[in-house]
Amino acid sequence: MKDLASSQAWFVRAITTAEREELPEGADEANARLTPGPRMSPLERLQIYRGAYHRRLVECLADDFPALRHALGVAAFESLCRDYVARHPSRSPSLNAYGATMPSFCRNEAPGPFPLRSFAAELAALEWAIVEVIHAPAAPPLSLDRLQNVPPERWDEARLTPTAALRILRFDHPVNAYFQAFLNGDAGAPPEGAPSSVVVYRGGPTVWRMDLSDAMRAVLEALAGGEPLAAALQRAAEHLDALDEGDAARRVTAWFREWVSSGFFTDIRLEHGPTR
Amino acid sequence: MQGPERLQGPGRLQGLTPPRPTNRFGLPDLGVGLGLRTVHYAHILSEHPDVDWFEVLSDNYMHTAGRPLEYLDAVAERYPVVMHGVGLSIGSSDPLDRAYLAELRALRDRVGARWVSDHLCWTGVAGVSTHDLLPLPYTEEALAHLVDRVRAVQDFLGAPLALENPSTYAEFSGAAMREWEFLGRLALEADCAILLDVNNVYVSAYNHGFDPYEYLAHVPFDRVVQLHVAGHTHHGTHIIDSHIGPVVDEVWRLLGLAHRRAQASVLLEWDAEIPSFRETHAEARRAERFMRSGTRDAEVT
Repeated sequence: MKDLASSQAWFVRAITTAEREELPEGADEANARLTPGPRMSPLERLQIYRGAYHRRLVECLADDFPALRHALGVAAFESLCRDYVARHPSRSPSLNAYGATMPSFCRNEAPGPFPLRSFAAELAALEWAIVEVIHAPAAPPLSLDRLQNVPPERWDEARLTPTAALRILRFDHPVNAYFQAFLNGDAGAPPEGAPSSVVVYRGGPTVWRMDLSDAMRAVLEALAGGEPLAAALQRAAEHLDALDEGDAARRVTAWFREWVSSGFFTDIRLEHGPTR
Repeated sequence: MQGPERLQGPGRLQGLTPPRPTNRFGLPDLGVGLGLRTVHYAHILSEHPDVDWFEVLSDNYMHTAGRPLEYLDAVAERYPVVMHGVGLSIGSSDPLDRAYLAELRALRDRVGARWVSDHLCWTGVAGVSTHDLLPLPYTEEALAHLVDRVRAVQDFLGAPLALENPSTYAEFSGAAMREWEFLGRLALEADCAILLDVNNVYVSAYNHGFDPYEYLAHVPFDRVVQLHVAGHTHHGTHIIDSHIGPVVDEVWRLLGLAHRRAQASVLLEWDAEIPSFRETHAEARRAERFMRSGTRDAEVT
């Protein structure tokens, strides 16, 4: 298998080399290893594969990050993607997860001056959360019956199991607002910094996004992280201290009902023993 | 057999229509199918159009546990499904990816796919995937390598694997044989099936300067279980197998010839600039005209 392995190693080295760079072993190697066609030289034939390789991966990233493409502009986005492809060749037979490291690439690896670095990383994180939620398994949502089967005296210690198709994100920019404007076709310049939070989840085939206040995020993160109900709901208190206790409790109860009915949770469990 | 019994059952038409050839794997002729594409999910699941079968891109439903599988389950409940992959990399000098094979087999079992196919190609080496169907050197060394790997895959799947001739844009120096000989010998020595893509035959014939009818003359048609047709993009110096647009008449003629010689299901691939479901389906149904004629000079209308 010596010749086959050698031919394949050379071919992959050649076509994965960035198009702005020289071929690592030069055109002579292509002319020696490949035959001319009726109308094209060996090098021209090799370039068909080389161009297709880079174009395919850039198109894959454009599919997964359409709002980032809009925010950066097509040329800057494609340049970013070509840097990404050079740094992160695909190592899976599937392209489903190819863009997984785009948020961290934007934040930490993208070369050169990158004025939108922080916003781009956050927007990429939102778009990747959508991809993850699409590919996460759906499970039947927690039923009202199951909730009602928790003995009242053990309610405080119960813990919830979040659906796999749920992501809670915290940003330094109004990322979800920008993304919605993009979907509406009226996204302008990337926004100034302002803290925001969003939960991304899937209900049936549809992916939803819901803005969260700081209090909502604190409670939801605690519930999704497996904290007991009483402790998790208490996390709202530090954000709702302007309200009296009754108003705060009513508000948290309303959030909780909405999250349960939206399918954020699939199960409720007790530390020692099952629910009835 | 004498008397009325001769007139009963499928044999009653004997003498009126020529007998259909039989593929050696006993795989059924499912009729004319379509590639399942995401833009058509809503139409298919709400309208339940009358389609003989769907071919699904295996890799789109692997490495996922979510929405794509939910759609596929719903389609597979109603239609016969065949799986077609691009990620097996059967010709790579890397070891076979056992995790990929396990997931492929699990998907096959989940949706009840009638058979599984991939391409006569390799997609990467040293762990890197190019996600392209790369050309093989048609050497004795490569042939022996592929025979061993196809046998191993078939043992793992417990079923024949169908391999498709790819469109290629480059050829390695030092080839010992042409593609049709490589494919035929591989099918024979590994005892595997063939998915014959007549558009790919046409594209490669133009790109490499051979006669597509010579290619068809050397295909072992008793091993052909499926036929592909598709549109392509002509660049003057070469043709790209883009799967865009309607099928050209010369490719339809190749389909007619191939279908006459094989017991094979027919499928239209349309993967970019995809029109409405009805338009795509109408293009696929054009195949029936050429399946009935099956001559090199079949009239094209």
